[in-house]
Amino acid sequence: MTSAAISSASAAGQPAPAGRADGRIDCDVLVIGGGSTGAGVARDAAMRGFSTVLVERADMATGTTGRFHGLLHSGGRYVVKDPKAAQECIGENIILRRIADDCIEDTGGLFVTTPIDDPGYADRFIQGCKATGIEVQEIGVAEALRREPRLNPRISRALVVPDATVDAWKMVWSCVRSATQYGATVLPYHEVISVIRDGSRVAGAVVRGPGGELRIRAEVVINAAGAWAGKIAAMAGCEVKVRPGKGIMVATNHRLVNTVVNRCEMPADGDILVPIRTVSVIGTTDTLVDDPDDWPISRQEIDEMLTAGENLVPGFRESRTLRVWGGVRPLFQDEGPAETRDVTRAHAVLDHRARDGVEAFLTITGGKFCTYRLMAQDAVDAACGVLGTSRPCRTADEPLPDSGEQKFYRIGSRLAGRERTLHDEQLICECELVRRGALEEAIARRGAASLDDIRRALRLGMGPCQGGFCTYRATGILHQATNLSAAEANRALLEFLQERWKGLHPLLHGDQLRQAWLDDWIFQGVLDVEHLPLAEQERARV
Amino acid sequence: MTAQAGTRAADAVVLGAGMAGLTAAVRLAEAGLRVVTVAKGLGSLRLAPATIDILGYGPGRVDSPAEALPAFVAAHPHHPYAAVTPGALADSLRWLAGHVDAYAYVGDASANMLLPTAIGVPRPSAVVPETMAGGDIRSLRCVAIAGLRALKDFHPALAAENLRAAAAAGGLALDARPVLLSPPTDGEADVGTLSFARRFEDPGFRGAVAAELRAALRDEEAVGFPAVLGFDQVRSVWTELQEAIGRPVFEIPTMPPSVPGMRLARALQERLRRAGGRFVLGAQAVGPEIRDGRLAGVRIRAGTRETVRLARWIVLATGGLASGGIEVELGGAARESALGLPVFGPDPGEPAFLPGYLDEHPMGTIGLRVDARLRPVGRDGEPVRQNVLAAGAVIGGARPWREKSGDGISLSTGYLAAGTILEDAG
Amino acid sequence: MTDEPAFDFIRDSLDHCVKCTICETACPVANATPLFPGPKYVGPQAERFRTPGSSDDGSLDYCSGCGICSQACPQGVHVAEINSRARATMKQQRRMPLRDHLLSRPSVEGRLATPVAPLANFVLSNRIFRVLAERTLGIHRSAPLPTFAGRTFQRWARRHRPAAAEREVVYFHGCSANYFQPELAEMTVAVLEHNGFRVLVPPQDCCGLPLQSNGIFDTARSYVRRLVGNLAPYARAGNQIVATSTSCGLMLKREAREILGIEDDDLRVVSEQTYDICEFLADLDAAGQLRTDFRAVPMTVTYHAPCQQQGHGIGKPALDLLALIPELKVIELDRACCGIAGTYGIKREKYDIAMKVGQGLFDDITSSAADLSVCDSETCRWQITHATGRPSVHPVEVLHRAYGL
Repeated sequence: MTSAAISSASAAGQPAPAGRADGRIDCDVLVIGGGSTGAGVARDAAMRGFSTVLVERADMATGTTGRFHGLLHSGGRYVVKDPKAAQECIGENIILRRIADDCIEDTGGLFVTTPIDDPGYADRFIQGCKATGIEVQEIGVAEALRREPRLNPRISRALVVPDATVDAWKMVWSCVRSATQYGATVLPYHEVISVIRDGSRVAGAVVRGPGGELRIRAEVVINAAGAWAGKIAAMAGCEVKVRPGKGIMVATNHRLVNTVVNRCEMPADGDILVPIRTVSVIGTTDTLVDDPDDWPISRQEIDEMLTAGENLVPGFRESRTLRVWGGVRPLFQDEGPAETRDVTRAHAVLDHRARDGVEAFLTITGGKFCTYRLMAQDAVDAACGVLGTSRPCRTADEPLPDSGEQKFYRIGSRLAGRERTLHDEQLICECELVRRGALEEAIARRGAASLDDIRRALRLGMGPCQGGFCTYRATGILHQATNLSAAEANRALLEFLQERWKGLHPLLHGDQLRQAWLDDWIFQGVLDVEHLPLAEQERARV
Repeated sequence: MTAQAGTRAADAVVLGAGMAGLTAAVRLAEAGLRVVTVAKGLGSLRLAPATIDILGYGPGRVDSPAEALPAFVAAHPHHPYAAVTPGALADSLRWLAGHVDAYAYVGDASANMLLPTAIGVPRPSAVVPETMAGGDIRSLRCVAIAGLRALKDFHPALAAENLRAAAAAGGLALDARPVLLSPPTDGEADVGTLSFARRFEDPGFRGAVAAELRAALRDEEAVGFPAVLGFDQVRSVWTELQEAIGRPVFEIPTMPPSVPGMRLARALQERLRRAGGRFVLGAQAVGPEIRDGRLAGVRIRAGTRETVRLARWIVLATGGLASGGIEVELGGAARESALGLPVFGPDPGEPAFLPGYLDEHPMGTIGLRVDARLRPVGRDGEPVRQNVLAAGAVIGGARPWREKSGDGISLSTGYLAAGTILEDAG
Repeated sequence: MTDEPAFDFIRDSLDHCVKCTICETACPVANATPLFPGPKYVGPQAERFRTPGSSDDGSLDYCSGCGICSQACPQGVHVAEINSRARATMKQQRRMPLRDHLLSRPSVEGRLATPVAPLANFVLSNRIFRVLAERTLGIHRSAPLPTFAGRTFQRWARRHRPAAAEREVVYFHGCSANYFQPELAEMTVAVLEHNGFRVLVPPQDCCGLPLQSNGIFDTARSYVRRLVGNLAPYARAGNQIVATSTSCGLMLKREAREILGIEDDDLRVVSEQTYDICEFLADLDAAGQLRTDFRAVPMTVTYHAPCQQQGHGIGKPALDLLALIPELKVIELDRACCGIAGTYGIKREKYDIAMKVGQGLFDDITSSAADLSVCDSETCRWQITHATGRPSVHPVEVLHRAYGL
């Protein structure tokens, strides 16, 4: 694996963290965690002029951020149960539409009263929206069905709210690009192995990356490790109870709706159907798990998701399902209730000096994707406090790279883009219309040897065939474009197949099973990948 | 009103037009039977490398399928090969070689060749097109793997490097290196395998390739090409290319769609047509037609209308999980999609799939079980119907891709299914 | 059917696509020109990127609508139907040429031109007019256009007094037989009467197929609904309906539902009772009810099953029928498409593609020793004759001759 640092090399004139060559970096702010919150914090801190380093144990946005349904809440979901969270959502929804339009598709959202819902909830919902400042409009059932013909025709009410969908990977990488433009150093694949303490003060962290260990000293350390924040806090000698709440999601092969569809009811399992990029995602569940890194997905849970989908869109069960995955929410509560839905979705900044007597160490936890920017703002405000300075936050005003022109993402844009290069360029991932140039550019930009990292940047292998036709092509191109040995390229291929299999095997049936078997025919029958030459240690890893 | 509207009778209806179905249909039609092949679409043979792999791994690498099969079958009593005698296997291989006009199929069940795949793994195959046989790594010393810039489904650098490593691991001194060719493609950057095959039939294009190669080749180097060396005229393309560069040339199968698969499908379809066999494309078998307690034919749907095809025999060659011959629901419930015959899959309570991609998934061997005459059997081991014969991937008990046995099973069972019918017909 | 859940089975069929690309290897247009990116690409693949009313891929226009992709798909994807719907959306988004409107209304042209057929035919075959038509309308100057017969089959049928018969069958003749080739329709009636049928010819107008294939769906729907309304009472009474235009028959059997999305009882009952004429006669033969008093026809003919005929999913019943004729030698051609695909090959920008698509077929015909080329579809016969200079007939014309009628 080549070093995957995204540094300030391209950002001339900005204050960069010092050091590096001798395995040491000194900076003002060290951010631990490369999810949306960490990326947001890094951007915010860098924009306020702090020299900033972000470390992430894997690739960016691979924890909870990259594993959700893609809904940019209007806040409607929380209006009755958690008005504070609802208010935060709508506030951030409006800001993100302004600063991150390139990452957002303006799908709009519908809350519909299905036959199994409390008919009275809709009125409380409308009141809640009014109280929290969420624009809401009731439309007739016929109009709702005209807009979304597949909706359950037995719905009794339909309410329109400004929900949208968001590409979390794009959002995080946009924050990373912006942060590095402001001088930050972002280090994916750098795992914290210890927290440096100077007496009562946290003074940085030791991280292990592809190039060995790095000792990063910082004036303040911000723990933005999400569901893993408890583990990081423990390294600093603090106790933070983050309860990992598992939610699973199932993607269909194509969009069944083009608007976010929510059940108009108190939040429950499987009550949202989100059109995100080329698929619809039904979600989600909410169960406490002990370890954020180890939890299975059962057929029973998948079956419940399909039943929930059927309630929103009749015929859902017969639709092809591509994949199942889960994410773990960082639910923060010191004295937690048993039901995770009862834990607040609001976030908290913990200053461990007051709480645990540990200085220069902050934990930002709780919250959800759509409030990541606000969370970052609160965390960096607190960091300013630690550093004894006051610098205003500007992230609500300055658009992210490629955004700021109110040009929301449109699903047809890739098709239009492909149309322009039909004869000039190869199409590598046919399902998701990934062109060769885009692939080569991503490989060069990331210097990455992992096809899975490329996948998140481009959606490579995320369509119906789940990599069946593009994995060999992409491996060949990766092998050529980098200086990988064939053995390393082989490993990249087999790891990608394993990663794809992870989301497939719990739900394989019907059309997707036929696809998986054709894919196996390609890999095992035609290419014989099970006998690929690997270096010994690589064979052990795969 | 016609009393029998929508029914037309045949001696045999063959369901499916892959390797197994076409083999059975051609053999029956050539024997003078009235045969109707009904296919939902063009069969998966068009995706296949079109090498007749009999047994490549079982689980260790097999050098001689003929020698390995008795022990393999003893260890896998429900494997389709349990119904195939060595003599029948040999007959089916000879039969195939006699039915492909475009070029020769070479090899037999006594020894496997080791032919490179498109990623450079030497893969055991028994009977292959003559254009591929030169790729046996044990007979190569020095090879250039030739890629075509506009072909995204073949990566010569990766294939060459892997081939070198694999040969070295097997104690062979093989020097393999990539050569990337850029013959003119009328400005098209993304050219598919079939399109390249057609271009190779143009002498001008071939000349451009040969000229580029001559400049790039070293002495004594054989040349491995993606399998796109012509479609209708493969033999002359291959021969002339070898003459033009003065080196041996061999083909390496590519990702689907596969030109060698299309050549083979076309050859068998042509034979079927010449023998008077009928082909109904775009219609799907949806169930058995039972009359007087006997299977009298099959119900076929095209559009909104269902019709009946009456037949004395039915050959079920609809394929396995990949082709929809076997369908599986979320809970694991499985059905044979055309006639509703009993399916043998993972035991209830057993996980269908394991977490490792390359694990041996219990679902992998799902399919029908058959008796020695290829009649599908029920739980009691007795034939469900006397006049249904199963052939190809619809029969379970095998792991064709892992064993490298796919088209060997399809060819031999297709051939045998026809044999059973011909015996019964007298 | 308003009480049914909205369920788009054509679009949903994209769920069956496993990307195998067999459709693209079978597509005659993609094999003839790189301008068309292929049926998988514009079908199940691009469809995932489309929202209602959106149109981002103009290359879709090069699809000829021949339907071979749907036939070839081994997984049951309605590739051609997905493409047809997307093309209709595209045409709504962009300005549709006047030409496409003109080519879409054969019955209007038929009614206008029939009384003045000699003049109309003169104009249509006039070189100067054709050059003008190419420049102004985009109808290729060399493209095969039919000639008006100057009379209609409907008029003939109204006056025709059949002998008494025990059974009845309804004849759906289509515009072509009505205005361009009434003798084919008359031969069909004769063949059916010879087999003991009384042939009913209800009033009928265009089925809407050319409108549909040019993306004018709303008008196409009203045409086909009207036609189906005329035919439904017969179908409900148990009458079978036979068609000699294989593409218009396919409209009733499949395309009105699968492409135009019509779901109603009239269509369903008509669809279930509609037979291609050769399918109908071959079924009669299978039931032992076809008269086989054929005279020897000592000829060699080629038979080309057109793409639209293959869309019926019935195999090639014409081969079974022609095989009954003594001394007739039939060469079955193995080519998918002649290129014309209805009105596709008539258009200026598509003419060369269409001729290239059909080249293999034309070569097979001209290099054969056949006296005659047999083909079920009228537009294909025009194309074949245009490209090869050889006469081309419907299988019924051969049967008619063999019966000595």
